[in-house]
Amino acid sequence: MDLIDPDHHDGTSDATPGGEPTHRRPGEMVFGLFLLGASLVLMWSAYGISGFKALSAPGTVPMATTAVMVVTAALVVLRTRRLPLDTTETVAKDILPGVVILVAALLVGYGLLLRPLGFLPTSALFLIVAIKALSRRGWGWTLGVSLGSLLVVWLIFRIVFSVLMPAGIVPEGEIIQVFRDLVGGSA
Amino acid sequence: MKRFALGAVAAAIALSATGAFAEYPEKEIQGIIQWGAGGSTDTVMRSVTPHAEEALGGTVVMQNMTGGVGAIALNSVADGEADGYTLLMGAENPLLYKVMGLGDKDYSDFTAISILARGTPVLVARPDAPFDDYAGMMDYIRANPGEVRFGATGPGGLPSVITAMISTVEGGLDVIAVPYDGDGPALTALQGGAIDVMPAVLGASIEGIRAGNMKPLAIFDVEKNAKLPDAPIVTEFNEAYDTYLPWGPFFGVFVKNGTPEDVVAKLQAAYAEGAKNPDFVQLMDDRGFTMLGLTGAEAEEFLSTWQQGTTWLLQDAGLTQTSPEEFGIARPGE
Amino acid sequence: METLMAFLTVFLDPELLILVAVGTFAGVYVGAIPGLSVTMAVSILISFTFSWEVYPAIALMIGIYMGGVYGGSRTAILLNIPGAPSAIATAMDGYPMAQRGEAGTAIGVTTVMSFIGGFIGIAVLALAAPLVSDFALRFQPRDYMLLAVLGILLVGSLSQGSLVKGIFAGAFGIAIGAVGRDPLTFAERFTFDLRIMESGISFIAVMIGMFGVSEALLQLHHVDRDAVRQKITRIVPSLATVRKHLPLSLQTSTIGVVIGALPGTGGDIAALMAYDHAKRVTKNPEVPFGKGAMEGLVAPETANNAAVGGAFIPMITLGIPGDAVTAIMIGALFIHGLNPGPMLMIDQPDMFWFIVGSLVAANVFMLIFGLTGIRLFTKIVEMPRSVLIPLIMLLSIVGAYAVNNSITDVYWMLGFGIFGYFMRHYGYPLGPVILGVILSRLLDDNWRRAIISEREDLGRFFYGVVTSPLSLVLFVSVILIFLSQTPLWARGKTRIFGHREGSTPQ
Repeated sequence: MDLIDPDHHDGTSDATPGGEPTHRRPGEMVFGLFLLGASLVLMWSAYGISGFKALSAPGTVPMATTAVMVVTAALVVLRTRRLPLDTTETVAKDILPGVVILVAALLVGYGLLLRPLGFLPTSALFLIVAIKALSRRGWGWTLGVSLGSLLVVWLIFRIVFSVLMPAGIVPEGEIIQVFRDLVGGSA
Repeated sequence: MKRFALGAVAAAIALSATGAFAEYPEKEIQGIIQWGAGGSTDTVMRSVTPHAEEALGGTVVMQNMTGGVGAIALNSVADGEADGYTLLMGAENPLLYKVMGLGDKDYSDFTAISILARGTPVLVARPDAPFDDYAGMMDYIRANPGEVRFGATGPGGLPSVITAMISTVEGGLDVIAVPYDGDGPALTALQGGAIDVMPAVLGASIEGIRAGNMKPLAIFDVEKNAKLPDAPIVTEFNEAYDTYLPWGPFFGVFVKNGTPEDVVAKLQAAYAEGAKNPDFVQLMDDRGFTMLGLTGAEAEEFLSTWQQGTTWLLQDAGLTQTSPEEFGIARPGE
Repeated sequence: METLMAFLTVFLDPELLILVAVGTFAGVYVGAIPGLSVTMAVSILISFTFSWEVYPAIALMIGIYMGGVYGGSRTAILLNIPGAPSAIATAMDGYPMAQRGEAGTAIGVTTVMSFIGGFIGIAVLALAAPLVSDFALRFQPRDYMLLAVLGILLVGSLSQGSLVKGIFAGAFGIAIGAVGRDPLTFAERFTFDLRIMESGISFIAVMIGMFGVSEALLQLHHVDRDAVRQKITRIVPSLATVRKHLPLSLQTSTIGVVIGALPGTGGDIAALMAYDHAKRVTKNPEVPFGKGAMEGLVAPETANNAAVGGAFIPMITLGIPGDAVTAIMIGALFIHGLNPGPMLMIDQPDMFWFIVGSLVAANVFMLIFGLTGIRLFTKIVEMPRSVLIPLIMLLSIVGAYAVNNSITDVYWMLGFGIFGYFMRHYGYPLGPVILGVILSRLLDDNWRRAIISEREDLGRFFYGVVTSPLSLVLFVSVILIFLSQTPLWARGKTRIFGHREGSTPQ
């Protein structure tokens, strides 16, 4: 298998995962240990479902799979430990650059605000901030692109597919009903 | 385009402000269906609601919210506002949540808009099973204990109630219960020979019976069914079933308790009207459902009788997590 | 003669033909957007077409279905984000092609191969429906379980990096699939007594998070770099290309039809199995798998479209749904006053031939729409990443919400998005996670059904396996495929044949 150069591959295709077979990337050990720990917790939790009660118990398959997780996670940790650290990379530059942290934070913020604020205001905020920060272009362009595309998304999902996202502070239902009455009244 | 949209939104807000005292429904109503798309609850709700919408003069947007044996949908409606803009479209399961340890809410937290219809259970077997009716099946099970495979759909499902009933009436039923996640997959397995007998709702098995892909052993009702006049009824074999029958799963539309009375009345009238539609009546009849159309006190009476009978039946069969007594559900006849 | 007329109904009535066309066109876009699913679209159409006659309603639904299954490949190729679960395998070789600027070629091959696969599926439906449904019914719980094990062995070909990490990812996927109340006993699994966990984790939320959000996060690293310019000169593949891949496409279509016809398995599993099959039988691909091999597009795309015809087989002959979409269509037939079941073919044979006719029409429209409008799609991809990435994220959020109208699913989706981002960085393949989630219930439920049916007796269970020809074939395949992935086998083969064949994936 070809060596993947971290500076040139962009790690995007699933078929070529971004790991390096011969080096340990920064943070890889921490991630491996985290997975091992999580697997142990899950295995304990799987044992708690039904113990070794019967072959057909609801906990049997979960116990088997979490056991596989623990074994493979441990193997990965052992192998990773033996690899030399890739000194050309740092966490701040290659794994979690500022822009990724920013967007991830925006996503978490989105999740928190979605219910109280509603879909339209939250999404508008998200798009405006994200597009502004990423493109560094003028406000007019940013607002036009964000609100325009939000409108298209809203029309497709809300009107065509009747997906009722949380309305929050915008009285969506009443607005649509007014339109419906207008259309229904004139028809 | 953008300016137009903003203008329109502003106009709409102005309009909706002036219409603040408009009559219910002043916006679209959400209908939360407890079960997945394509299931019987889904089909029934999607066929009655358009007729009810006509009578109501509003729009009902139906959404499927599955999971937790329907408890996710029930809790979601219960957590919402009691303003009549969220309807729960469900089946009988919530009445068993408390005793089954699946949740702490049931239909007593809701007001019935309409208990639409009731299904009739039927015991079907694969065509090459070594028995042809209920009596033959019981004899075979006694001769071969622990060998006949019954389909099941988890504790509290129709098959578990029917097997509990058989076991109570006959004083035991030694079979293997193979669990499926619905009567559809279980009836498929029956036709493939993976299980021998399945207690199912008539509507789900009627086409299979007509085609000879499964044979009816007994209909669990007190009188013959017009759809299957040749199929025997279970009371012909054992009169003790009279105590428990008629029994069957049902479908109903509910709103949260505390919804304004005029809104409830409007919805009740709309669904009563919708359920009368000849297309809907025909559809329900084809699938072997009995139309009920219960509201108000009648509905409450129906729900509490159903809950008493079923929970105590399951309790006596040892299938519950908590005794119905704990929740103040009285034993029938007490 | 009557049969022919019923078959031709859709072609002779312009209104029906237009509905199929509209449906197919809409389906391509519904399929391409990761958040919109065919299942969702069809279930909305039930209310929408409520007052229609039954033929127009079915014509529209069939169009959406056919177009949607195909449409998933578009975003998989152009953005590395599968628009639908059945396009996961397509991304593995389609996206590398797009990175080389060959998206046009990739889409062209995908379209033609989807057409061929779709056509084979329809042909089997038309000619051998009763036979295939008889065969599909014969699958017992233990056979489904063996099929799931066979599927899990695909982990080997889905993880190109490290096999150990792949196995971990697969097991993790199976565990994700088990979260929530067990549908068979209602026991709580991995819920940690939290109410939010009770309903489990939606498979679509996991998929959108892992493939959509984590991909978008990763592309943030190159937010300023321009998108790859796509050459869209030659779209329609040459006859020679098609002929070269015809044998493979016939094999993978067969996989698609059979897996599609089995109740409980659908196009997603079929596509992954076909991909694995292609890797196994293609000795010397021009380009290695995972780097943009043509065979890696041919296999999943023929299989998932062939699965459409397959899914209709049990639906029409027995009233048993072959997948989620046909389940909703059964509901639609009920609502329109028909009684889908074993008697439908006898009572209303016209309906069968009308469905076959509509499928043929939809398949042709899919070919037409697939080969046109590519320029527009590629333009979307050439949008600045600073706009594209936030939009992908917004679509992922709405899509995850739309599956079950639940904010919880949005949280899961975001969580798996961020987790998937780290997995990609540290070389954990994501394909096996999705594979595990897809197969989790198939494996778990059927294992339990099988062992309960045999009264918890392993001896009786294996006796059942060896005495049923079907189970035996599946069991032997499991053993052989398992052995072929172990180093022992490769060593043995080298000793016998004296040379190494091709380059075995590590």
